[in-house]
Parts: sequence; C-alpha cells; structure tokens
Amino acid sequence: MTKYILRRLLLTIPVLIGLSIVLFAFIHLLPGDPAAAILGQHATPDRVAAMREYLHLDDPIWQQYLAYVSNLLHGDFGTSVINNQPIIHEFLTRFPATIELTLAAMLYAVGVGIPLGRFAARHAQSWSDGAVTIVSLLGINIPVFVLGLTLQYIFAVQLKVLPASGRLDFSLRFDSPTNFLLIDSLVARRFDVFVDAARHLVLPAIALGSIPLAIITRITRASVLDVSNEDYVRTARAKGLTDGRVDSRHIMRNAWLPVVTVIGLQVGGLLAGAVITETVFAWGGVGRYVVDAINNRDYQVVQNVILIFAFVFLIVNLIVDVGYAFLNPRIRYA
Amino acid sequence: MAAPAIPATGRAIEVRASRGLWRDAMRRLLRNKPALLGLLFIGIFVFAAVFAPLIAPYGPLEGTLVQRMKPPGGAHLFGTDLQGRDELTRILYGAQVSLLAGVASVIMGLSIGGIAGALAGGLGGWVDSVLMRVVDVMLSIPGILLAIGIVAWLDRGLPQIMFAVAMTNAPIFARILRGSLLSLRNSDYVTAAQSIGAPPSRILLRHMLPNSLTALIVAATLALATAIIDVAGLGFLGLGPPDPRTPEWGTMLTDSTKFLRQAPWLIFLPGLAIVISAIGFNLLGDGLRESLDPRLKR
Amino acid sequence: MTATAPVPAAVAAPARRRPPDNRLLSVEDLVVRFRTHEGAVHAVNGVSFELERGEALGLVGESGCGKSVTNLAIMRLLPKPAGRIEGGRVVFDGIDLVTLSEADMRDLRGKEIAMIFQDPMTSLNPVLTIEEQMVETIRAHRKASRAEARKRAIELLVMVGIPRPETRLKSYPHQFSGGMRQRVMIAMALALEPKLMIADEPTTALDVTIQAQVLELLRDLAEDRDTSLILITHDLGVVAGMTQRISVMYAGYIVETATTAELFENPSHPYTVGLLHSIPRLDEERAEALLPIEGTPPDQRRAPRGCPFAPRCAWRLEECWTDNPPLAPIDGSGRVITTGPDATHRIACHNPPTAEEAIAGRPLREGFVAAPPPDAVIQELVTRGAEEEPALLDEVVLMGPEGPESTAPSAGGLPIEPDDKP
Repeated sequence: MTKYILRRLLLTIPVLIGLSIVLFAFIHLLPGDPAAAILGQHATPDRVAAMREYLHLDDPIWQQYLAYVSNLLHGDFGTSVINNQPIIHEFLTRFPATIELTLAAMLYAVGVGIPLGRFAARHAQSWSDGAVTIVSLLGINIPVFVLGLTLQYIFAVQLKVLPASGRLDFSLRFDSPTNFLLIDSLVARRFDVFVDAARHLVLPAIALGSIPLAIITRITRASVLDVSNEDYVRTARAKGLTDGRVDSRHIMRNAWLPVVTVIGLQVGGLLAGAVITETVFAWGGVGRYVVDAINNRDYQVVQNVILIFAFVFLIVNLIVDVGYAFLNPRIRYA
Repeated sequence: MAAPAIPATGRAIEVRASRGLWRDAMRRLLRNKPALLGLLFIGIFVFAAVFAPLIAPYGPLEGTLVQRMKPPGGAHLFGTDLQGRDELTRILYGAQVSLLAGVASVIMGLSIGGIAGALAGGLGGWVDSVLMRVVDVMLSIPGILLAIGIVAWLDRGLPQIMFAVAMTNAPIFARILRGSLLSLRNSDYVTAAQSIGAPPSRILLRHMLPNSLTALIVAATLALATAIIDVAGLGFLGLGPPDPRTPEWGTMLTDSTKFLRQAPWLIFLPGLAIVISAIGFNLLGDGLRESLDPRLKR
Repeated sequence: MTATAPVPAAVAAPARRRPPDNRLLSVEDLVVRFRTHEGAVHAVNGVSFELERGEALGLVGESGCGKSVTNLAIMRLLPKPAGRIEGGRVVFDGIDLVTLSEADMRDLRGKEIAMIFQDPMTSLNPVLTIEEQMVETIRAHRKASRAEARKRAIELLVMVGIPRPETRLKSYPHQFSGGMRQRVMIAMALALEPKLMIADEPTTALDVTIQAQVLELLRDLAEDRDTSLILITHDLGVVAGMTQRISVMYAGYIVETATTAELFENPSHPYTVGLLHSIPRLDEERAEALLPIEGTPPDQRRAPRGCPFAPRCAWRLEECWTDNPPLAPIDGSGRVITTGPDATHRIACHNPPTAEEAIAGRPLREGFVAAPPPDAVIQELVTRGAEEEPALLDEVVLMGPEGPESTAPSAGGLPIEPDDKP
C-alpha cells in the first residue's frame, strides 16, 4: 500500500515538470519580446528592463526556466501588471470563494447523483429509469452558462426566491477574514450572513454541479447494473442473504470503485467550469480573476492560475487514487 | 463430414458473419431510437448551417436599433437582438460558425492525437513514454482552461479557437488510439499475423488500425458535442471571433446577459440551439458505440 | 406450446405433501421463459425430474440447453425481470418452491439448498475477505456470534483441505488459486449442511489437473453427509464417476434419462450419441476421431414445432419436423421409475439409433437418408424469419434441402481483398 502511494507520487513528478515547462513556454514563446508582451500597454522602458531582469531574459533559455521554477518554489508567482499586486496574494484571497463554490457543486453532484443513479439502476428499463437517463443527457449537454442564466431567469428574475448574483447582499456588512464566507460567518455567529451567503451559493452551485451530477448519475447507474450482473452477487443471493444486505455489502462495495474515480476526474471539470460560472454569477473567485486577466492581457496571471488549478487537480486525483486503492483490496494487496 | 448434421447450417453461419461489421452496425444503428433522434438533431443543425443563406428570413447583419429587442412573433419569429437584427437569422448563421469550428477542431484534434497515439501505441518504448507524459500534462490542465490559455496566448480568432479546442481533444484521442493499439498488439490474431511474417507496417495498417477505428469514431462523435459547447463557452467568455458582428452562439449569449430580464429569448434560443446540437452528437455517439460494439449491448 | 409439452405419466400424478418415501426434490413440468426485446426465449419447456435423498444426478447438455436455467429456477434466482417461471412446480422436501414467499425462499437458500457456480474467479466477492463471506453466510441462517461463525468457517476450510485456515480467512479471493477458490465455494455451500447441493459446471473453469481433485472432494463430501447433488455439466466425461443418474437436456427439454451405467452402455438418443462421440474416452483404446455435433442449438426465441434436435439430427424422419416426441420408456412399457438405481431408461425420440449405430455415430441402415424438412415447415420458417429478423432468413433458406449453393460471402460486408495488394 505504501509502495503504491509512493509509486503514484513519483508518477506525478514528471507531470509537474512537464506542466511547468509548458507554462514556462507559454510566457517565453509569446511573440516579440516576452517582457514587452507581458507588460503590454503598461510597458515603459524602465518596466521592460525590470521585467527582462525578473525573467532572466538575457540568460540562456534553460537558466530562464530554472529561474521560473525557483521563483515558483519560493512562492513567487509574479506580479499583476494591472495593479502591481503579487499574484499569489490576489489568488489566495479569491481562491476560498472558488473552493466554496466547487465544494458546494460537488456536494450537490455527489449527494444527488449517487442516489439517483442507484434509483435508476434498481428500476432499470422502467419509465423512471428512462426519465433519469433523459435528465442526465440534458445535464451533460447544457453548457454551464446556459443553465446558469436559465436558473437566474427562473429563480431570481421570475420567482424572485434566490439572489441572481454575487456572494453576499450589499446591505450586509461583513468582513470575512479568510474569505470562506460560510465558515467565517458561523465563527462570527453572524447567522444572517450565513443564510444569505448560502442562498447566494445555491444557483451557481447547481449550475456548476449539473454536468458532474449527470456524469455521476450515469456512472453510478451503469456500475450498479454491471455489478448486479456479477457472479458473486448471484452467489450472495444463493447464500440466502437479504436484498438489503446484498445491495449494501455486495453490490455497493464494488459499484463504488468506478464512481470514486469519476468523482475525482470531475474536479478538473469543476475548476474549469468555475471560470464560466463565476462569470455568469459575478462570483468573486479565481475564475473571474482569470477572465479579467485575459481581457487585460495579464499573461502571468493566466499562466500561474492555470498552473495552480492543474496542481490542485493533480493533488485531488492523487488523493482519489489512494482512496480507490484503499477501497479495492486487489490493489491494496498487490 | 460428420454424419449427424445438416451440412448447410455451417455455411449459413459463415455467410452471416461475413455480412460485415459495418453493415451490421448500420442496421443496429438504424434500429436505435435515441441514435435516430440524434441524427435528426444533427440533420437540423447541419441543414441550418448549410442552407442558412437560403432559408434565413433576413441578412445576418441586417437590422436597425429602432427594431431592437422585439419579442418573438410577427415579422421576427425568434424576435430581434440588441442591434435589432433578426434572432432566427443570427441563430441559423451561428450554426455555420459552430459546425465549422466544431468539425475543424475535431479533425485537427484527431490528426494530432491520432498521430501521437499511433506512434505511441505502434512503436512503444521511449516514444510511448514521452508522448504519454505529454498527454498526462495536457490532461492535467482541466478542460476548457487549456483552451482559454491557448486563446489567450495566440490571441482571439476563429482558427485559434479551433486549434485551442483541438488541443483539448487531441490527448483524449491519443490515449484511446494508443490503448486500443496496445490491447490489439497483444491479441491473438496480431500475434498470428506476426508469426506468419507479416511486416509491422502492414500489421499496423491492415490489422490494427481498422479495429481501433471504431473507438475513434465514437470518441470523435462525442467530441463534436463538447467542441460545440467549448466553442460557445469561449465565445461566452469574450474569447470568440474578434469581429463582433460574427453570429457566434456563445458571443450572442454574452451580449444579451445584461438584458436577461427584458429579453430572455436572446438567452434561451441560442442556448437551445447549442443544447440541441450537442445532444444530437451525444446521442449519435452513444448509438454508434452500442452498434459498433455488439458486446456492449445489454 | 405449453399445452403440448411432454408430461411423463408418473410425474403427472398429484404430489403428496411430505412423501413417505425417500424423495427430496421433484421438478414437475417446469416451464421458464425469458422476455427479451426480441420476444420470449423458451429456455425450459416442461422439464420434469426427481431426486432422492443422497442421490446424485447429472444434468448434461451444451451451453444454452436450459440446464443452468432449470437450477436457477429451482433456486428462484432467475435474472429479473426477464426470467420467469411460467408453469410447473418444484417440490422440495414437501414444499412447492414456485409459490413460496420470497422471505421463506431466502431462508431456504444457502441453508437447505446450496449452489456452487462455474467460475470461482468471479463467484466470490473481490472486495470482501473469505472470512467476511463465510461468516455472513452462517450468520444469515443461524444465530451465532461472529467468533462462533468464525470457528465454524475454520472447520469448513479444514474439511475442504485448505491449509492454514486461520490465516487464510483474512485473505481476499484474488490471493487464492482457482482450485482453492472453488474449495472455498464448496466449504461455503456446506456451511449449513444443506439437503441439496447444486453444482453448476464446478470444474469447467479450473485447470485439468485440479478438476479431478475438486470433483472427488465434492462427491465425497456429499456422500458423507447424505446430501443430494445435482451436477450440471456439458461434459459427459465429468459425470461418469460422479452421479448415479444422468439426464441429458437439449433446447429446454430432457431428451434422455437413465442411470449412469445404462446411459453409457446404451445411449439411445441421437443427441446423446453425438455428445458421447464428441468427448475423448480415456478408458478406450481405439484411436477414433472425435465427431463433433455439427450446427448450433436452435434459436429458442421460437418454440420449435417438431423435435428441437431435428435440424441437426442424422436419424430424423419426416415426422420429426412436425411432432415433438415425449419422454417415454425405451422398452415401451408403461411403468416408470423416476429415481434410484432402477430408474427407467427414457428417451424422447421417434427414431432412436440402434446399438451398432450408436457406436458408429451414424445411421447404418441401408439407404437411409435424414428426412428433408417438409415444404410447410420451410414456408413457415421463411415467413416467420422475414417478419422477425431479415438476417435470419438467410439461415433458414440455406437450411433448406436445396439452399442456394453459391451465396457470395462478401454480400455487403467488407470486401475480402486479394492478398497481393500492397
């Protein structure tokens, strides 16, 4: 088991190196002088010279790369050309908002998707199974922004039951030290803030979580059906176990495995989807930061946010793979 | 010939098997109702794209501000947009952009990913290791984020968008083709072909690629659905074609978000167009998967 | 179809509750159908047989002949919702299992009737330890603490010859070899001292060298406990030393049944003859070529009109195409003994092979030719085939006596290219 985790960790290293090379190339292969390109309209001879020095542009290319990696390892992700703020600082203040959103979306996707998938599998080939299939087909094919805008229209514009955008109502004054609004408000015993923040979270989380929800529903259904046809399930029934026991112990214990893997893979989709969702719902997270940065041609921000998102995605998948091994004795005792 | 048998039965089975994978697959596909629905959706989408200039009631740029945001009905079946242009016309022309960008990006992705996958799976060794690490790196950048980065890097423009979306698909195609080739390389009939001394290139082209093709066809069909959504997503983020007059579905949506209250049809109708096209390719892809691989059928 | 299913006279008599004799199981005119998208599959078409306490019966036939389905039906474990028992009774120890409540049936499974499946690789749950799987079996039926159940599990593993059972209990199935896994399955089946064990191809998935060991173990354990055994196999060689009686199944019918010795000595159904000629006989020295039975079992989506084996049979008469013969005593007498060492040899055949023909594996009668299907049968098959699936039509047409000889093999498929192309 330890061996497996170590091997899995080792496999992540080349990917991280490759990733840093690709993103290094992203900046250094910009047309023209990278320093001037990064600074864009903010370029003055002084600033270009400073940027050239920061990027080690006068050194050989491999030294430029080493400088980039060394900066990363020291937590230096560069500064935004727009406001001269360190990117890591901006990132860390916004990231909690993105985490809150993606976690809520994931909870929604898993919490609804797995029961729905089990339900569909149990009623396979019936009309309710068909309904679940159609809903999940829709879920996969509605772009986040179309669903987000539709939800806004129905629940905010027409029914007026939920706020359309933002994280917190302007009338509520609340200083969130970590920017995890839900946690900070609970710590500060500001339940009005907690409720309002939660209400703001509902629509974006549903919009963002729908694709993973549909995928998790599908894979759960397929996996449960698959496992239900396994010989060992028949053995379990032949042993005279109750249906409930066959279901929980023999079917679900195995059906979980592919579902867990797929849940891990959805994290990537969620992070990417957050970029769009945050744009639709004016959610002050990293996603909007990136979109603003693209429009401002703030290349270093784009570069490093992509790097961090990819890093988070790799870590999550690492955790999921280890969890998978833990659930699956064939790997645990390999 | 053994006695207790009708000689002809054996031949009947032989004849049936040789009817061909493709014809059998077609027959199964045409009996698959969801796939037929998908084909219908795709048909509508392609028809709109190809015949937009003929069937559109107005020109794509034709309209005056006086006519802006007219609700659906009357002279404008789908209403008019913020510039007073006919929304139905814009959506029909938008199908051209979507179809072009979707198909081109999938073809590009297939070529890049296909070559990488064929090299990795066909040659193995260090070529395989290197290419697969590259694929790992590309897949570690989640979905549309890679496309965003590429468009940010290469600047806005339809070819850039196609390339960006292609690069999100290419690693997936590469993995599928490589995986399929690897499993085939260990299959009995390839071993058999090797044992009678068939040259490697011939084994790859005649015995392995045709068998891997089915997996790629399915993946490409499904990729068309994501490509359409991703192109629209880039458009929505403001990374669409640089000419703001281009009728691109995602860009059309962005322009209208501020007027959700006043003109919701400007959101729903292009949105519906995206969803229907994507569902079409998704249904067809699933149908193809089932009909090309009879073992999957349940 | 259901109405014309053959019903042996002796079995049709109303069964008494708790028979005074030694009878444990009687299956009476069992009919099982599967509902599929392409119509009903006639899997079991009126099968009847009986079993005494401590008796071992072999059920033999090619895959798809209904032998496994028959036994899944006895256990009421047919795949849902497609598979259904559509007729007949299964009386086990005086209780009709077909009408038994699901809860009572569950109590019976594993405790009174245990089953051993074909593939030990897939029949044990990969994510549970052997201990978990054995203990849960015991505790599902018996009030026992975990420790007591564990003790029992160790006893059982010792009994089936698994070394170091205490440590092996903690293992997962993938840590065992195939033969060992099947021993675990047997141990689990015996956990509650069942009255009946059903072993479905228990050694087919195993190494040839292991097969004999496992079979022997199974037979000895069943004999020691006076447990009845139904051994399902496609291989007549397997049942030879294992069971007292054999029933041969084809297309959902029992076509021949006799004591094991009698069946091997005097095989009387063309299908049995075919089966015997397609297995290697180690006990005979003649180096005769194996004769496979040509063709495939019929498409059971349609109930055959005549004898289901007719299309593959070399002995068929014209009536075989239209009239399905019932299972009847081979000597024509009316008295039928269904169980035990004196069981009556019965076959379902209009034109049984003679002893010489059985040895030769083909008809020896002067000028005898297997009867071609009558026009009415062809006509019916053709119309039905065209309606249901056009592709079947080719088969049917080719099956006819004067089928088109030169059907191009590349019709619509990938053209077969000449080999000299680059």
